[in-house]
Amino acid sequence: MIDFMLLFFLVIFAIAAISMKDLLSAVMIFSAYSLIMALVWMRMNAVDVAFTEAAVGAGITTVLLIAALSRTKRREENSPQSEITNSKSIQRRLLLSLITVIVTGAMLVYSTIDMPDFGDPDAPANLHVAARYIEKSYEETGVVNFVTAVLASYRGYDTLGEVVVIFTAGVGVVLLLRRRKEQ
Amino acid sequence: MFEIAAIVIVLGAVLVLYRAIKGPRVYDRALAVNVMGTKTVVLLALMGFIYERPHFLDIALVYALITFIATIAFLKYRETGGLD
Amino acid sequence: MDIRAIITGILLALGCFFIVVASIGIVRFPDFYSRMHPAGKSDTLGQLLVLSGLMVYEGFSLVSVKLLIIIVFIFIVNPTATHALAKAAYVSGLKPWKKEKGKND
Repeated sequence: MIDFMLLFFLVIFAIAAISMKDLLSAVMIFSAYSLIMALVWMRMNAVDVAFTEAAVGAGITTVLLIAALSRTKRREENSPQSEITNSKSIQRRLLLSLITVIVTGAMLVYSTIDMPDFGDPDAPANLHVAARYIEKSYEETGVVNFVTAVLASYRGYDTLGEVVVIFTAGVGVVLLLRRRKEQ
Repeated sequence: MFEIAAIVIVLGAVLVLYRAIKGPRVYDRALAVNVMGTKTVVLLALMGFIYERPHFLDIALVYALITFIATIAFLKYRETGGLD
Repeated sequence: MDIRAIITGILLALGCFFIVVASIGIVRFPDFYSRMHPAGKSDTLGQLLVLSGLMVYEGFSLVSVKLLIIIVFIFIVNPTATHALAKAAYVSGLKPWKKEKGKND
């Protein structure tokens, strides 16, 4: 029951965030979307992901988007949307793309039927290295939480590379956007 | 008992959802998102008790902090036109 | 039945009542400033009651200390946020709603 309600919320918020013309409202709706998303992660017992989603998705992303809005315009540029939808040929093209999207979505949903159930212990993903991580990670690394053990120890170089990429991106953004002092 | 409370709170959230989407001005939306955030905190605490994993509460605490930050950033932007 | 469970039930029911009333108020009230009232007061009270119900259920432990922290935090933050919202709206020139004159409803 709660699951269905949460998924319903997600869909409504996603549609609302896309269709909102006022960008500031879209940011607020998106923040609420992140909150619900974190609840869904929570419901699947993915505590670490929920933590990240709550802190990054609902908090930092909202602040960053508002900071971006404060340097640009709040309203969407007035694109000639009404003229576009009125002309006959474009309308037909829109219909065609809608059909494409629906067919692709239906195929994707159909392919999920063959997937193993959520949390199934015999799923291929759970048979490969996961068992070793669960059993041995404390002996081998001394870290209690094995999600942390995988991220920081078994895949330490991978994580280091990710951190370098994010750091470089952050430095680049700071250099581009910093406020130049008047000389 | 906890399930019933959680479902009632989710139903309340549906009403707030209506205001968040329709809300004629952006302030109504901000208010609705703020209320939604605090409802989420309570819902998270309740879910922790339903599934008997009380460490959900740590995340509820983070939520309470985070939604406040988002609201205050929004307000600062509306009042001064920037975040500096 | 345990007396603690009964108290928890009563507190949860009261809290849910206040939360639903606040939600109805947020939908039904005519303008932004009046919507401030359910969001700032009734909603805070409802959450307070629900969380203290959970506290009673849990008894004295680390969990209820965390719940107490959340309660105190919500108690401070929620009215502050609504106050700041109202101030921002007022500064930006949003006029309070008034009953139109000459109308009898």
